[in-house]
Amino acid sequence: MRKSVFMFIFLFLFNTTAVAEVRPVRKALSDGVKVVATLPWIGSIINDIGKEKVEVTVLVKSNQDPHQIEAKPGMILQTRKADILAYNGLDLEIGYLPVLIESSRNPKIQAGKPGNLDCSQYVTPIEKSLSADRSMGDVHPFGNPHYHLSPKNILKAAEGISERLSAIDPANADFYRANLVSFREKLKEKQKLWSIKQLKGKRVVAYHKMFEYLAAEFGFEIIGYLEPKPGIPPSAGHIEKLIGIMQKAKPEAILTTAYYGRKEAQFISQKTGVSVITVPHDVGAAEKAKDWFTLMDHVLATLE
Amino acid sequence: MKRKALLGFLLIFFFVSESFGSDIESKIKNLEEVLKTQQKMIEEQQKVINGLKDELKTLKTQESSKTEKITEKEKPAGVSGLFGGSALTNPNISVVVNTFGYTSNIKGNELETRGMPGYSRLGIEKRKGFNLESAELFAFAPVDPYFNLYVTVPITEEGAELEEAYFVTTSLPHGLQLKGGKFKSGFGRLNAQHPHQWDFADIALPYRAFLGDEGIIEKGVQLTYLPPLPFYTLFGIEALQGDNEVLFGSDAKSGPQAYSAFIKASLDLEDNSTLLFGPSVITGKTKTDSIAENTEFRGDSTLYGFELTYKWKPSKTRGLILQSEYFLRHQKGNLEDTALSTIEPLKRNQDGMYVQGIYQLNRWRLGARYDILDLFKDDYRLNGVSQDFGKKPWRATGSLEFNPTEFSRIRLQYNHDRSRRDGKTNHEWLLQFVLGIGAHAAHPF
Repeated sequence: MRKSVFMFIFLFLFNTTAVAEVRPVRKALSDGVKVVATLPWIGSIINDIGKEKVEVTVLVKSNQDPHQIEAKPGMILQTRKADILAYNGLDLEIGYLPVLIESSRNPKIQAGKPGNLDCSQYVTPIEKSLSADRSMGDVHPFGNPHYHLSPKNILKAAEGISERLSAIDPANADFYRANLVSFREKLKEKQKLWSIKQLKGKRVVAYHKMFEYLAAEFGFEIIGYLEPKPGIPPSAGHIEKLIGIMQKAKPEAILTTAYYGRKEAQFISQKTGVSVITVPHDVGAAEKAKDWFTLMDHVLATLE
Repeated sequence: MKRKALLGFLLIFFFVSESFGSDIESKIKNLEEVLKTQQKMIEEQQKVINGLKDELKTLKTQESSKTEKITEKEKPAGVSGLFGGSALTNPNISVVVNTFGYTSNIKGNELETRGMPGYSRLGIEKRKGFNLESAELFAFAPVDPYFNLYVTVPITEEGAELEEAYFVTTSLPHGLQLKGGKFKSGFGRLNAQHPHQWDFADIALPYRAFLGDEGIIEKGVQLTYLPPLPFYTLFGIEALQGDNEVLFGSDAKSGPQAYSAFIKASLDLEDNSTLLFGPSVITGKTKTDSIAENTEFRGDSTLYGFELTYKWKPSKTRGLILQSEYFLRHQKGNLEDTALSTIEPLKRNQDGMYVQGIYQLNRWRLGARYDILDLFKDDYRLNGVSQDFGKKPWRATGSLEFNPTEFSRIRLQYNHDRSRRDGKTNHEWLLQFVLGIGAHAAHPF
C-alpha cells in the first residue's frame, strides 16, 4: 500500500517534470529577456536600457524598507523563471538574496553566471571598511550600498547593465547600446538642470546613512544621524545629544524616508525648529517618482 | 643638452673675460678645473636621478601589486551575491550561542523522567538554574558552480555533534534540486528550522511527542521540484536512513528505512501578507523501546502532517505570524514485553496540533502558543484492547522577546505544561539569550 502511494508520488512528480519540459519550450528570448530586479530603481534603469526587449519584475515594493525583506516563496518563483537576476549588491540584500538564488533552482542566475547581475560591481563604493564588526551597527564592509542616488554611479551601472543585456541577448546588442547612448544623453541634460540646485554648503541631519553619495556629489554636508549606529533605532540619550549638536550647528533640515518612523524626526524638529524632509528613497516612493530620472528630480526638489 | 648649453655659456664667458684679457692660459686652466668639477657635479646628479628613478620604479611596482592585492581582496564583493558573507573568510562561518535560565515548580529528578505517557518516555532535558543549550557552529560555501555545502555542528558541554552536513545542487535543470548527506527533513514547518529560528524556546508538543525535541534529522537524499506554475508550489521526496529515536527508533542497522514526501504551496494574498501551506507524510520501519517500560515495538509508522502559516508584514516595525501544524500518526506492529517475553499486536492512531501567534512591534515580539495531543484520535489498541492514558496532554505558552538587532534575542517565556496527563501542572519559566556572530546563511521564509 505504502509502496503504491510512493509510486504514485514518483509518477506524479516525473509526470509534471515531463509536462513542464514540453510546454514552455524555452521560447528563446524572443518574447523578451526576463529580468528580476530586487529594487525599483534597478527595474527602472533596466527598462530604460532594455525597453520592449525586456520583461522586468521588481521584488521589493517601493513602500518597503530594502533592509528588511524576507525571501517570500512568491519571490523564489519569480526568480526561478528569470534570465537575469539584477540586484543592488554591497550586502544590501544579504538577508534574502542567498535564499532566493539557491531556492530558485535556476542555474542561469547562480553566482558567476551572466544572469547574476550585481550592479554594485560597476560602481565606486564609498565608506569601505574591511575591518568592520557588528558592534558598529549594520555596517557594510564593501561600502555604503545606497549608491542609487548618485548620477555618476548610476551611469556606470547603466553601462554595466547594457553590457550584460548585450551578452545575454546578443541579437539585440545594438539596441541596448543605442539605448545606453540615449540614457547617457538624457543624464547629461538632466545633470545640467540638477547642477543649478542650490545645495552646496548646506548642512543636514539624516536618519540613516542613505544620502552619502548624494551629499558628496551635490556638495552638502550631513552633520549627524538619528540612528546612533547604522540600523540601530535612535535611543533617547542619542536624540538628546543630537539635539544639542543641532542647536549649535543649526542644520537646515532633517532627512528621512517614508519607512523610518517619523516620530523621532518630528520630535527633534519640534525641539530644534529644523524642518523634516521625507525624501523618496526609491522609484515609486513618491507619486511623481515614476522612474530613476524623475526620482532624482523629486529627491533634489524636496532637498532644495 | 644641458652640458652643451653650459659649455656655450662658459665659452661666452671665456671670450668676454678674454677681452679683458690678462693671463689666458691660467684662465683656461681655471676653466678646465671648473668644467671638471661641473662634470663631476652633473655625474653625481645623474646618479641621484637614476637612484630616484629606481626608487620610483620599485614604488610603482609595490603600488601596483598593492592594488592587485586590493582587487583580489575585493573579488568576494563580486561573488557576494551567492551568500554575501561580509567576512572575507571562505567558507562563511558563524556561531550561535543559545543559553537560558530555567525554573519550574516540579522537582529536578521528576523533570528528568517527565515523559508523555502513550507518546514518549523522554523526560525534560532542561535543568533548573543556568542552562547552556549549545554553541552552534555553522559553515557554508559554494563548493563549485554545481554544489553548495552546509555543515552544522552544535557544541554542547558534552562535546560536538555533527547535526547536519549536506550538499545542495544549484545547476540542475527544470527547477530540480538534490540535497544529500545528513539534514533536517522537509517534513512539516518547524522541522527544518534551527532552534535559534524558533519563535519559542522549545519545540511544539506534537513534535516532542512524535519526533522528539530535535525533529527529523536524518541521513539521506532529498529531491525537490519547483514547477513554473502561476503560484509557488514545491514538491519534495526523501529517502532517509530512518533512525529518528522517537518515530523509528535509533538502531536502524540497514536502510533506507524511511521515506517522506511533501508539498509546500504559497500565495501572496496582498503585498504584505503571505500564506504558506501544504501536506507532508513520512513513513518507515520502527523498532523502539520508548512506548512503555520494558517493551520493544516493531512495526510500521506513518506520520501525516499539515502546515499552515500566515505572515503579515506591513512595515519594518510591525508584523504578525500565525502558524499551525496538525499531525496524525498511525502505527501498527507488535509490542514485545521484554520482561515476560510475550508479543502482542499493537495498533494506534494518535494526533496532535499546535497553534501559535507572534506579534511584532518595533524590537519587541509577543508570542502565544497552544499545543494539544489526542485532539481527534485517541485510539491505542494493545492486543485488541483500547488503552486509556487519562487526560489529553496540553500546554499553553506565552512569551515576550526583545530583539536588539537581528543578531541578538532576549526571550522570557512561560509554559503552563499539562503534558504529563497526571493532572499536575508544570509551571515553567525561561529567560533565554540567543546571540549570533559571523556570516550566517539567510533564513528561508
